[in-house]
Amino acid sequence: MLNQDNSSQGQFWILLSKKLSNEASFEELQELQSILLSNPDLHHKAEMLTEMWEQESINISAGSEAAYMRHVMKHKKDFFVEENPTETESNDPGFKKEHGYFRTLLSKKKLTIFSFLTLLVLTTGAIYLFTQKKAGKLPAEQAISSIVTKNGNRTKIVLPDGSQVWLNAGSNLDYNNSVFNKDLREVTLNGEAYFDVTKNADKPFIIHTKKMDVKVIGTAFNIRSYGDEKTAEASLIRGSIEVSLKDRKDQKFILKPNEKISIATDETQQTIEKQEKIVAVKNNAKPIPQIVVNDLKPNPTNNIIPEIAWTQNKLYFEDESLENIAPMLERWFGNKVEITNVSLKNLRYYGNFENETIEEVLSYLKLSKPFNFKIEHDSVVIY
Amino acid sequence: MNGTDDLISLGERIANDDQLAYRQLFILFYNKLSRFVLGFTKSKELTEEIVSDVFINVWRRRKNIQEIMNLKLYLYVSAKNITFNYLKKLHRENLADLDSVEIEPEDPFADPAAAMITREMNLKLKAAINELPPRCKLIFTLIKEDGLTYKQTATLLGISESTVENQLSIALKKIGSSIRYTFRHN
Repeated sequence: MLNQDNSSQGQFWILLSKKLSNEASFEELQELQSILLSNPDLHHKAEMLTEMWEQESINISAGSEAAYMRHVMKHKKDFFVEENPTETESNDPGFKKEHGYFRTLLSKKKLTIFSFLTLLVLTTGAIYLFTQKKAGKLPAEQAISSIVTKNGNRTKIVLPDGSQVWLNAGSNLDYNNSVFNKDLREVTLNGEAYFDVTKNADKPFIIHTKKMDVKVIGTAFNIRSYGDEKTAEASLIRGSIEVSLKDRKDQKFILKPNEKISIATDETQQTIEKQEKIVAVKNNAKPIPQIVVNDLKPNPTNNIIPEIAWTQNKLYFEDESLENIAPMLERWFGNKVEITNVSLKNLRYYGNFENETIEEVLSYLKLSKPFNFKIEHDSVVIY
Repeated sequence: MNGTDDLISLGERIANDDQLAYRQLFILFYNKLSRFVLGFTKSKELTEEIVSDVFINVWRRRKNIQEIMNLKLYLYVSAKNITFNYLKKLHRENLADLDSVEIEPEDPFADPAAAMITREMNLKLKAAINELPPRCKLIFTLIKEDGLTYKQTATLLGISESTVENQLSIALKKIGSSIRYTFRHN
């Protein structure tokens, strides 16, 4: 270093800077190389600085997801597209088709709106539920408003009382327009939805589903019950709900926040989730192993509460069988998914997807436990 | 990840009202722009407000987004202008100055052990970066962490490219001297 020519030293730092920031020409790279050859003492510094320069900063997006939510909530008017089904719907037999088209047009926008509205609901208090509906539940058939989401689409609606509903894919929500909000607020759900109910103690809000009725006592909530699933669930994040079973009207369950009730929809089906506590039933008339109340727990590693991941636009499952994953994929992507090799049905997977295509999802899954799949047009075959 | 082509296609999608693309752009640049703005404002609350303003302008003007030649540079220039306007409004013009900017540097090595660097060495590097003069540290950070080119940095800061070139070489020389120091004493 003692004999180091000052100007070549100065040139060295200029050239190294250019090299690291991709500004150097071919000649400059050669010149740098020759300075390094005649000054071996600069080698180590150059190497170390290069290594430092190329470090990927970790967590470059840390916290920005939450900042995005705050940003969007601050500028609601710029982002929210809302629809009010009571204003746009009629009983015209052609309506459903039209409505479906309308929804398709909106769906792209809806997808993104979805993620931030959820935050609002969660922070103002909400209940999450999963249920199933039986057709023909509503008293007067002629004034029924029906909101349908196709597989692959999700939407948000505002009911006549101002309550908000986020309807997940492949679901439908019906209510009788002529009596809704008169004495009661009743809706029927088949599928999955998240509710933010306007408070009104005089007019209870009731969600009818195939297996249970859910009465909202607190402020907000969400429900799931698909016909092709083996359990129906109601998960409560905040607030209070009362659940009564269709076939045991005398039994009522009051859910506390962070609890989930699961009901086997198939009476012979005994394999419900890991039991944490069996609810003691008042009359103790029949044993009811099909009904389980669990605590809702966020996954300790990623803080995701699996039951509500979908409202954050996440396709999420933990230790789920391929047999159960297939209908989830159908609803999420709108593709038909068929498993032709029966031995694959019990393979279990974890998944956390957001923007992936169905092909990408299946490719990831098969990395952990292999299977074959092919996609033809809109249908997927797993074999 | 934020290559020019990707940004152009993000811009096209945003012009077509694609909020997913908009969200992606936000997440790509939020922390970087915040670091830049915070260097001037020294206030987290004000910084969040400013960066939010930068992005809402992008959304409101999305139909014209494709007229913007360089979306990345546009974000930084817009962040700087909005920051300086705020500071003026708050009568803190003295902060709108390249020689009083305080940039919080990244760790030189996020995982020193994996890079076969001692913790001590890592701290020395970090201290050397931190001790750079304000303008020099800002230029170093904009080029290394934010990936701006010399030309973009010069345009953003209203200085010449040769000043950028000089300042970056001074930064590297100073950081480099901390490496020599350690080796003599270890």
